[in-house]
Amino acid sequence: MEAVVLLAGVVDPKWRLDGLALRPGTALVEETGLPRRLSPFDEAALETALKLRDADPTVRVTAVLVGGPANNALLRAIAAFRPHRVFRFGGVALSLWDPLAAVRLLGAAAAAAVERPDLVLMGREFGDGDDGALPPALAEAQGWRFCGLAHAVSLAEDGAVTLRRVRGPREEVLRLRPPVLASITNDRGNRLRHPLLKNVMLAKREPIEVVAPPPDAPAAAPALALRDIAVVPPPTRGAGACRFLTGPVEAQVEELAAFLRRWRAAVGG
Amino acid sequence: MRRICALVPLGDPAVADPFAAVAAAAAIAARSAGRVSAILLSREANADAAVAQAAREGAAEILLASHPALPEVPQTDHLLTAFAHLLRMEAHEGLVLLPAGPVGEELAARLALRLDAVPLGRCTDIAWDGRTLTARRPAYGGRAEAVLATEAPLCFAAMRRPVETSAPAADAPAVRAITLDVMLPGDLPPPEIREPAADRPRRPEGARIVVAGGRGMGGPEGFAQLRELAAVLDGAVGASLPAVDAGWAAVAQQVGQSGAFVTPELYLAIGLSGTPQHLAGIGLNTRIVAVNSDPEAEIFRVAELGLVAPWQEVLPKLIEKLRAP
Repeated sequence: MEAVVLLAGVVDPKWRLDGLALRPGTALVEETGLPRRLSPFDEAALETALKLRDADPTVRVTAVLVGGPANNALLRAIAAFRPHRVFRFGGVALSLWDPLAAVRLLGAAAAAAVERPDLVLMGREFGDGDDGALPPALAEAQGWRFCGLAHAVSLAEDGAVTLRRVRGPREEVLRLRPPVLASITNDRGNRLRHPLLKNVMLAKREPIEVVAPPPDAPAAAPALALRDIAVVPPPTRGAGACRFLTGPVEAQVEELAAFLRRWRAAVGG
Repeated sequence: MRRICALVPLGDPAVADPFAAVAAAAAIAARSAGRVSAILLSREANADAAVAQAAREGAAEILLASHPALPEVPQTDHLLTAFAHLLRMEAHEGLVLLPAGPVGEELAARLALRLDAVPLGRCTDIAWDGRTLTARRPAYGGRAEAVLATEAPLCFAAMRRPVETSAPAADAPAVRAITLDVMLPGDLPPPEIREPAADRPRRPEGARIVVAGGRGMGGPEGFAQLRELAAVLDGAVGASLPAVDAGWAAVAQQVGQSGAFVTPELYLAIGLSGTPQHLAGIGLNTRIVAVNSDPEAEIFRVAELGLVAPWQEVLPKLIEKLRAP
């Protein structure tokens, strides 16, 4: 079983994005100086792959970090989890904003990992620009079976991939024949483990493997072009300024209870 | 006149608001002198109520397509095959919208690839300037907004129901009905359905009040109290991503940019800092009440009522007071 986990990384959400803008004259977002880390969904996908490897010695895991050299520190962090192979896929300037170009790139990234992957895992959102469209689009482009928002993956004895997900009001268990692409959502069961210190040290010393994407059609204009990007203030909500309750906590709780009782009476509860 | 096509998958309980795309298409059409056509896909040929709702939401043309071979709860691959067949007949160019949510967003992406179109993702606004379509969508976890442009003849997007509703079309809509016989994928094993446990929490979507907790709850004990409070108020429990990550709440309860989008009348935020990523999952018309020990927490910037205290000092007393006759 060849499992490939595609990882994007995101700008650390704890950092402010005040100056976020396009690089002048390009459709690339200026992220210089902003630290990168794995998103919760990247982490869930990576942990899912590691769990499969731990459960079955025939599972071979290749982790692919898609991005430029700014991601090298992140690549070493991933290497510390000791997948069978880990490499960065991408050149200096890389944009995933055009989904059709991104799907071609991700298909090439998976192919660079292994000629015929059985299972491809991605976070439910791929990087800072994706809202969940890239995993199903990649599956469709490659003709792979797709399961969105899986929270647990295991392998059946007959070679099928068993995936669990919550779909609306119910929990589903799907059994799909490879090749399968699953987008993984965060869950208690797939929180990323901590790497061993000795593996962290090893990863710091090891050389980094970088695979360059194949050249895209030179004249191909992006089907979807990023024209602008900016930090937006939170949307205005109707209530205006917050009214803070005052006085002893007991009295504040009573006032809150009265507020909720009035609301309950107004809605007929 | 620009035609905006809204796809309405009926009968799938995972699609919380199947007509959201019709309402979103009507809002775009009102701004761009467009015309909304709705394609309703159902197992049953008799769907008068659904046709009437599509008309109320603003559809000027309605195609009711039924496929008797659709399973009672269709899988996405079935919907994909049927909609792709319909769109090859009905929409060679223009904008096609689907309701935001896991099913609609997967369909939008895969239909775009299957029909050589451009997937736009989950958009907040779409407009045209001549032949150029401009789409806006959140990025960086909802902290930024990206503006994307394309001249592709056919685009797919997922959209939520707009805050402002549009008026129904002035004239009665033109309604057609067809029965599909396109071959549906036959090699898809149906998913095994796990019965929900008796104590499984209610989902936050559709609840009139959501009682939500974040990292500040500190552990599962805090969420047990949130469940008690939600039960007293006949509401549902929501959670932030870190709380779900920590295993204090189920993934189905996650509210935010990457979780459920909820529009309750009241959102009681306990131990929640109020990150933009979390607030992106709460409707703009929802009133927010916050309890947090940090008076500087961002949640107080959007709340209309705030109580500054540790939740441990508030929740037990609040539950007791609300239970009192």
